Amino acid sequence: MSKNILLVDDDADIRTFVVTVIKENGFTPLMAKNGEEGIEKVKSGNPDLIILDVLMPKQSGIKMYRELKTNGSFKDIPVIILSGISKRVFLHSQEALTEFGGKNVPEPEAYIEKPVEPEELAEIIKKYVK
Amino acid sequence: MGIRKMLFVTEFEELWFDALQSLMDLRKAGLNHVVFLHVIDRDEVAMHRGKGYLKDEEIKLKEIANVRFIDWAESLFEQGMEAGAHIVVGKFIPKTIDIAEDEGVDLIVTGYHKQGRVQELYAGSQIMEIIRSTSKPVMVHKYMLDSGKINEHPFEKPLLAVDWSPASKKAVKFIAGLKNVVKEVQVVHVASEKSVKGDSAMDVQKIRKESRQKMEEMCAILRAEGIKAEEHLYIGNTVEQIEKAAHERQATMIVAGTSGRESLKEKFLGSVPRQLAEKSVYPTLFVPPDE
Repeated sequence: MSKNILLVDDDADIRTFVVTVIKENGFTPLMAKNGEEGIEKVKSGNPDLIILDVLMPKQSGIKMYRELKTNGSFKDIPVIILSGISKRVFLHSQEALTEFGGKNVPEPEAYIEKPVEPEELAEIIKKYVK
Repeated sequence: MGIRKMLFVTEFEELWFDALQSLMDLRKAGLNHVVFLHVIDRDEVAMHRGKGYLKDEEIKLKEIANVRFIDWAESLFEQGMEAGAHIVVGKFIPKTIDIAEDEGVDLIVTGYHKQGRVQELYAGSQIMEIIRSTSKPVMVHKYMLDSGKINEHPFEKPLLAVDWSPASKKAVKFIAGLKNVVKEVQVVHVASEKSVKGDSAMDVQKIRKESRQKMEEMCAILRAEGIKAEEHLYIGNTVEQIEKAAHERQATMIVAGTSGRESLKEKFLGSVPRQLAEKSVYPTLFVPPDE
């Protein structure tokens, strides 16, 4: 049975591109357009890997990532951040949220700043989907 | 009543990053989520004879906006805030209303978008259209024209222009809910010259006394929240006097309640909120009545 990969991104063009990469490498794509939808898909779709954008409507990837990593059921799902937001800012924001009373969260498995080449994305996906 | 989530609507011509930064005082009132919106007018990428739909142009315009929003969002994320962005093709007013509702924001912030005179006569200005179509407060942020700079703390010392409408009462409550941000409020009522043309000085004094009593009740609501408040009565043209009072009292913005409705006469001459949105040099915040 093929593994499920959840892509959370509000950009339709990016979704088309990443879903193509996912399918071509023999995985099953699940899709969500923002963090709120993403959490719902995690609950219903049981993904083996999550590819997550950061700047999205309704709920950002920063908040969704925090929800994932502080939830006992989801914290072990590997996450690849794929975003135009820099890794430095992402990590700094998580530190800031921790300082405001949140839990400490680990760094994501991989961080890719857009754009990404299909080969690079496929290689990272395969590395983390066991 | 606080402001947790704000929709910041920009065309990148009228509102820049410093305008956004000037609103960060609202964090003391609970603001922790900013949603950016840029609407690309459909006409800019519409079907053109011989060219078809300008998909390349749409991609280019979206990416230009995206680069800007990423930069702004990074600044907010670093402060531990939430940020989101919508870059959409369509018509400014319906897109703004739809996204404000969908995101459940507590405040809409926009610049002043002037339409052609003919369009305004028939449709009203875009600001009035938004005010009419939403139950959310709408702030028309402005660069103070004298200096060319934005006021860094627009909520610090607002002038609250009141009549005795439900929207005015709601505006008082709204400002009272911003007690950690607002330091001092100048409550101003403008009576028309016509209303003080009585037969005797007693009539004028009666109006003054009644107005001050009503304003005093509003000030008491603000003072109960620890906000310094003073009441002032002006007489004359409403818009001119509000602007004059704001200048005299060194206000940082003008707040007014409004239903957004305009009579036919007002559509031609301009209602008070519309004239304030169009002509005032001050940022203006319009608070609708309860639904």
